[in-house]
Amino acid sequence: MLTLYHWEPNANSGKPILTLEEKGVEFESRYIDLLNFDQHSPDYLKINPNGTIPAMVHDGRMLYESTAMMEYVDEAFDGPPLRPTDPVERWRMRWWMKFLDQFYSPSASMIGWNAFIGPSVRDRDPEELKRKIDAIPLPERRVVWTKAIYGTFSEAELAESARRVRYGAKLMEEQLTRHAWLAGETFSLADINAMNLVYFMPANPLGAVSAEKTPRTMEWLYKMAERPATRRAWARGKTMTTERLKHLVRPSQQSA
Amino acid sequence: MLELYHWEPNTFSLKTLIALKEKGLAFESRYLDPTDFSGEARLPALNLEAENNPETEGPILVHEGQAITESFFILEYLDDAFPDAPLRPGDPEGDWKVRVWARFLGERTAPGVATLGCKAYLVPALRERRLNDASVLDRFKNPERRVAWEQALTDSYSKADLAESRRKVALTVEKIEEALAQSDWLAAERYTMADIAAFAFVNCLPKLAPEVCNEDAAPRTMAWLERIRARPAVREALAMSRTGRPDEAFAPGPEHARWG
Repeated sequence: MLTLYHWEPNANSGKPILTLEEKGVEFESRYIDLLNFDQHSPDYLKINPNGTIPAMVHDGRMLYESTAMMEYVDEAFDGPPLRPTDPVERWRMRWWMKFLDQFYSPSASMIGWNAFIGPSVRDRDPEELKRKIDAIPLPERRVVWTKAIYGTFSEAELAESARRVRYGAKLMEEQLTRHAWLAGETFSLADINAMNLVYFMPANPLGAVSAEKTPRTMEWLYKMAERPATRRAWARGKTMTTERLKHLVRPSQQSA
Repeated sequence: MLELYHWEPNTFSLKTLIALKEKGLAFESRYLDPTDFSGEARLPALNLEAENNPETEGPILVHEGQAITESFFILEYLDDAFPDAPLRPGDPEGDWKVRVWARFLGERTAPGVATLGCKAYLVPALRERRLNDASVLDRFKNPERRVAWEQALTDSYSKADLAESRRKVALTVEKIEEALAQSDWLAAERYTMADIAAFAFVNCLPKLAPEVCNEDAAPRTMAWLERIRARPAVREALAMSRTGRPDEAFAPGPEHARWG
């Protein structure tokens, strides 16, 4: 019995969704609305006391930390292997996942929260927002949400994030110029991880990922978007997420 | 052939030295002091990943010409390339636990311990050698490394940085103490690379953060440290110190998470 508590096929929630779809593992999906703070509700805290999503319950065992969860899925279930067998490629897979998780994604996320998510949440009733923030169990997450909701990022912080996003996009382009996939010649969890960040980069106002600047990354995005597992994963979205995938089509195949 | 570019047996370097010894792997030791700016650094040929090493001055394993970086991923690599004497539990849940520990230690513990260690030992050492000079910074091309070294050279750790670091160190000891209430080891019923990774940061804490890492506040952690120190592989790794004070060897570590 496998249940996944997740938000949109995007960022951390999208990592286990796409991994399970690639692996061909059936699971019960429980949609948690991040923007309604459902992940901090008493019912959800009974499942994951940290109040973070995604969370996975497998045979009564609760798993969190999306990247560690991806390796768990690959280890625990039958299906196509999603980690290369070559130790060097496997190391590269882990290197890229850490780079994405701790360098590239948080910077893109800061810009995204500041531009889109913060403003959309901010006009709610201030008292209600305060109650929602007070209900966040981990102090570090409370700080993150407070900054996001009230948009208190400094110009310097945003400029540093923009620099990092451009650097991340450049490094990924370099890697995909040398290799077919991020870990090397084998499709792996690193590509699944990256897809959950990079699929919306062409729509990001920084313009760091585009046909002109990063042709190899665009080609990789088209390949990723064509995979049946990606289509199934993104069909689970209830917001603009699903819409964005439709734009990831080679110019030659776009209908007029 | 295996080569390890490493410094004193503390934090990142200690983790990899212990793993190599535990697995009984022969390797060439290439000792590199990242605080010695007197000559050119003798680094191996680096690939894209190794050039962008977020652990900054952490160890580099070279296996048949391939540079492998990031101390915890070096441990995973050793287990993948040399499966004998495994350091991972080997079952999906145990391996997941190991990786959750690694993420916590790398993201929270490492910057906390490195900041406190640099403030306590690196800052005075650099000052004594009159190295608080801007020309040293020109050696660092990577902007994150420049920022980290500038903090050490100019002793510009803010009160907030230090308080945040102490919070992360206290949280680490608290989590270890909590886990050891369930089992003698962190991720399984046996000693694994989660213990090695945690030990590498906690071994220096009774001296660096005695207010949280002591017999009264953390008796289980102190006993766990002793169990690990008694292992022959760990004794051999610690004996590779050239200064005799490995727990004072600190270079700027990975940065504190900026967001999220």
